[in-house]
Amino acid sequence: MSPSATTSTRQGGALKASLRWLLSTLAGGIFVLWAVATAIFFGIRMIPGDPAAAIMGGPGSQASAEALEAARIEYGLDQPLFVQYFGQLRRLAVGDLGTSYSLKSPVSEVLAEIVPSTLVLAGLALVVAWLMALLLAVLSTRISVVGSAVEIISAAVPHFWLASVLIMIFSTALGWFPPVSTNTPGGLVLPVVTLALPLAGFLGQVMRDSLEKAQHSAFALSARARGESEIGVLLRHSLRHAALPGIALSGWALGSLLSGAVVVESIFARPGLGRALLSAVTARDIPLVTGVALVSAGAYVLIMAVSDLAERLVDPRIGEP
Amino acid sequence: MTFAHPQAHKLIPAATVLAAALILSGCTSAKTSNDPSKDAGAPVTGGTLVYASGDAEPSCLDPHVGGNYPQALVASQYLETLYTKDADGKIIPWLAQDSTVTEDGLTRIVKIRDGIKFTDGTALDAEAVKVNFEHLLNPETASSTGYLALGKISSMTAVDATTLEIKLSSPDNSLLESFSMPWVAIESPTALKRSKAENCESPVGTGPFKVESWKKQDAVNLVRNADYALPVPEAGHAGPAYLDGITWRFIPEAATRFAALQAGQVQVIDNAQPDAIAAASKGASIKHLDAPRPGAANRIELNSSKAPFNDEKVREAFVHSVNVDAGIESLFFGTASRSYSPLSSVEPLAFSEKSLFSYDPAKAGELLDAAGWKDRDSAGYRIKDGNRLTLAFPVSTSQSIPAEQSLFEQMQATAKESGFEIKIKLLDISSWYGDLAKNDYNLVSAPYTKVGPSVLSILFHSKSTIPAPSGYFANLSQVKDPTLDELLDSAGTTKDPAQRKELYTEAQKMVLEGYYLLPLYDQQNHFLYSEKLKDVGTTTAVASPTFFDSWLAN
Repeated sequence: MSPSATTSTRQGGALKASLRWLLSTLAGGIFVLWAVATAIFFGIRMIPGDPAAAIMGGPGSQASAEALEAARIEYGLDQPLFVQYFGQLRRLAVGDLGTSYSLKSPVSEVLAEIVPSTLVLAGLALVVAWLMALLLAVLSTRISVVGSAVEIISAAVPHFWLASVLIMIFSTALGWFPPVSTNTPGGLVLPVVTLALPLAGFLGQVMRDSLEKAQHSAFALSARARGESEIGVLLRHSLRHAALPGIALSGWALGSLLSGAVVVESIFARPGLGRALLSAVTARDIPLVTGVALVSAGAYVLIMAVSDLAERLVDPRIGEP
Repeated sequence: MTFAHPQAHKLIPAATVLAAALILSGCTSAKTSNDPSKDAGAPVTGGTLVYASGDAEPSCLDPHVGGNYPQALVASQYLETLYTKDADGKIIPWLAQDSTVTEDGLTRIVKIRDGIKFTDGTALDAEAVKVNFEHLLNPETASSTGYLALGKISSMTAVDATTLEIKLSSPDNSLLESFSMPWVAIESPTALKRSKAENCESPVGTGPFKVESWKKQDAVNLVRNADYALPVPEAGHAGPAYLDGITWRFIPEAATRFAALQAGQVQVIDNAQPDAIAAASKGASIKHLDAPRPGAANRIELNSSKAPFNDEKVREAFVHSVNVDAGIESLFFGTASRSYSPLSSVEPLAFSEKSLFSYDPAKAGELLDAAGWKDRDSAGYRIKDGNRLTLAFPVSTSQSIPAEQSLFEQMQATAKESGFEIKIKLLDISSWYGDLAKNDYNLVSAPYTKVGPSVLSILFHSKSTIPAPSGYFANLSQVKDPTLDELLDSAGTTKDPAQRKELYTEAQKMVLEGYYLLPLYDQQNHFLYSEKLKDVGTTTAVASPTFFDSWLAN
């Protein structure tokens, strides 16, 4: 077999593998979204509270029987449950998220307004967490006790506690950053750090293990033997290995950032998905809860695919036949 | 593990010390000066006030729709009412000029003030008021508070531009008090013709500010009404407001709200918590406005519709088994005074009976023995016929502040000594209403704000045990007593103020002496504001602050 034939077979195989990967990712993504929509649909009906009352101004309202009935008919709540369920799936399939009960505007509009805010927050937090994690990992290969102590502590710190302490120190005492988040760089610091720190601790722990292994591996030794500096070994060889588990965890990390956003957005009074979700659940606003959950699930699916892809780029062995 | 740097270990304690020092310096800087600042100097025009509300963001800015306190707070800036309260608590005309009632009490003539315009240019007249009341009474509006307040109106006629004739199904001596509440504020009839969604976004009134925009989940932006004409010379100045506008933000977390005030990001916060008020009182840079809400006092209601509280002795025993005063003292830092009345202390007709509510475990024990709850089980709780003396206590986490929740826990501990098992259930508001609708409670604490003693009818008349279609009912002690009903009915219809007072006093005595409720304190309504904001303190009839006279010092 000529060398070129081998290459083309390998390329064909890689293409096929990529296609297979793409299709399975897509199918998996659709399955996740369907499962989320279904779980929300039935889950929210199990918690107490009449959706019709939610539409007519929330619990405790003195809406008349006629008004409640009119709301039920308008929103199709008088239909049998499975009719409502399939009706909702059909609407979701064409991208119709319905109208929010509590905000009285289309869910897609509400989401368009708040999603960017959460993306900025979560995106920055992810980047900062990564940087901190790398730093921690590198630091802890040198001073293991301190590094791992910092990692463990920061990974275990709950968001609400961290947020309160950061506000107390950096807003009230020092006056460096505002306690209520704004979209200026200064206004983003505290919420981003609150979200990033626990994640960094977690990612750092995972990365440190791989980094330590890589630093003592044969290829690191041979690199050193070639005259590569310690820094060079670290940057060019070991960190690449250390990053792998971190990248694999980034999908999970985004999930944790979105759930952390519920707390962080509420504490720092920042508009966003998390805060909208909290008030929507309280108000039994089914369309908005569904919308927020689907957007979060969609983002999760997407970041999983991206991190999968990134893993393949960092480690070309993955996905090879 | 390789070459650990010895100096790195020292970083941690050093950082801790630094952080502690920073926190401490923060505490001292909060109490820089102690000289009381007076609202001296000439008012400055300009500047935007940032108000931070701890309440849930309303779903509609028109308080006709639904009708809760967060709506009243923001609407008080851009809507005005026919009547209001003066500084002495007297009901005085505002958009109305005056009003008379016929001898039979069934027809009320309201004279509307002339020459007032809504911010959309529409003139205020009798027809406009009629349109507003019709809007409130229309089921499609889904008004709850305003709808109840106007329940006795049967028909209305705009006799001329300034005269509105209102026919009532039965006499109602609380009508003017009802007219003073923001939930029945008067809006532009032109604006009301828009869709409900549009009117919810930007209701139009006659107030010193108007709604410019509402970015949901973020802030409502109010701007000065440059053409503001003061209806009556009650306020501190004439002409438009000093402030350019108000940014009405929603900051749910109490600690963030207070930190934002300290940092100068906002100038006023509502729902100020006892610890924040106590901390602020140590310095001069933050001031406190205590504005108890009218209507009912905060109280725990004892569900008399089922065991064990269908037995009056057990209700009385419960009241004596809990140590309320000690809890209030330790948890509220002197920000709340104990109440012994079903009505708020700002209600002139409030009647108190302190002697009924002593903490007396010995008496509680005697009463329980007499009621047949003699034995105790292994856990120390009393039992009767094999049943434990258990009280279900659903608590709404959005209505009961953390200090109140802690108070309930302290009461739980003291009641245990007398053999009561209180099961506190912390619930979100929908689940809480769910438990009430299922009659799944023995104790409950629910706020009720209304102007005037007629709130007693809402809370204790047997009619109020009949649930609305949503399952809601207001008579949560479920007292059904024909004598009491009769008292409340006559108190609400008599034309004689002295007789009204006597009848309402009698009614309050009945519910207090029947141990249907355990009064705690006034409905807490605390605001903290920056000392840079001057001339704060004017409130509406429901104790919501207005910022017409307020100004920001440079």
